[in-house]
Amino acid sequence: MTRTTRTSLKRCDLITLEGRYDSQSAPELEKALRESMDAGVYRIVLDVSQVTFFGSAAIRVLIMAIKECRRFNRGDVRLASVNDRMRQVLEMAGILPLIKIYDNATLAVGSF
Amino acid sequence: MTPSEVCFTSDRANLSQIAEFVAEQARLAGLDEQRVFEIQMATDEACTNSIEHAYDGEPAGEIRVCCYIEDTDFVVRVTDFGREFNPDLVPQPDVTAPLEERSIGGLGLFFMRKLVDDIQFSFDPIQGNQVILRKRRACP
Repeated sequence: MTRTTRTSLKRCDLITLEGRYDSQSAPELEKALRESMDAGVYRIVLDVSQVTFFGSAAIRVLIMAIKECRRFNRGDVRLASVNDRMRQVLEMAGILPLIKIYDNATLAVGSF
Repeated sequence: MTPSEVCFTSDRANLSQIAEFVAEQARLAGLDEQRVFEIQMATDEACTNSIEHAYDGEPAGEIRVCCYIEDTDFVVRVTDFGREFNPDLVPQPDVTAPLEERSIGGLGLFFMRKLVDDIQFSFDPIQGNQVILRKRRACP
């Protein structure tokens, strides 16, 4: 079961992820990110506290979105509440040192 | 533990069921939760490869997932009957490159290799394409 919820805030968009993001559900994450970017919002926080699985398909979506948001210095995708499993996956993919991670969504939203 | 095999169709919607099946079998084999997670993720990537490369995303293909114990290892064998692919031809992603220069392919195979203790591929027109993933059952 996967649920992706997008909320527009003053400073940025907050996308809350719940459940499993494999190659079946990664397009759901892509859709939410695409909606923000198509609306001209390039400052995005992903609250990943409820993520139970994040596979290579989801990593690809994340890399694509970070690249697009950072272009022309117009924004960034920042992560909140990264659990140990997800941290391991980000590390394996070599993107842990390249992204900003915050303890919770409030801090991540406040960072913009 | 007797070998346990389940057949699935190559529908991405089955990935969560496959993950549950492998996790259950891995726990029965005595793997700790960290190892359960790693073999489950490697299996997910192997099945995703079958769906996307062997069957080109077509959901009607057959994927067999078999779990068994061999000596010190918990083994997952993933079999499909689609197009064979040569893992040696998949370029290894550069996970140290700046994000702007990252290419998108090859990450699933790279993850599989990182997550298990041993991985073997075989291709046979009758027996199908097999990926054999091995995970030690306990710390050496």
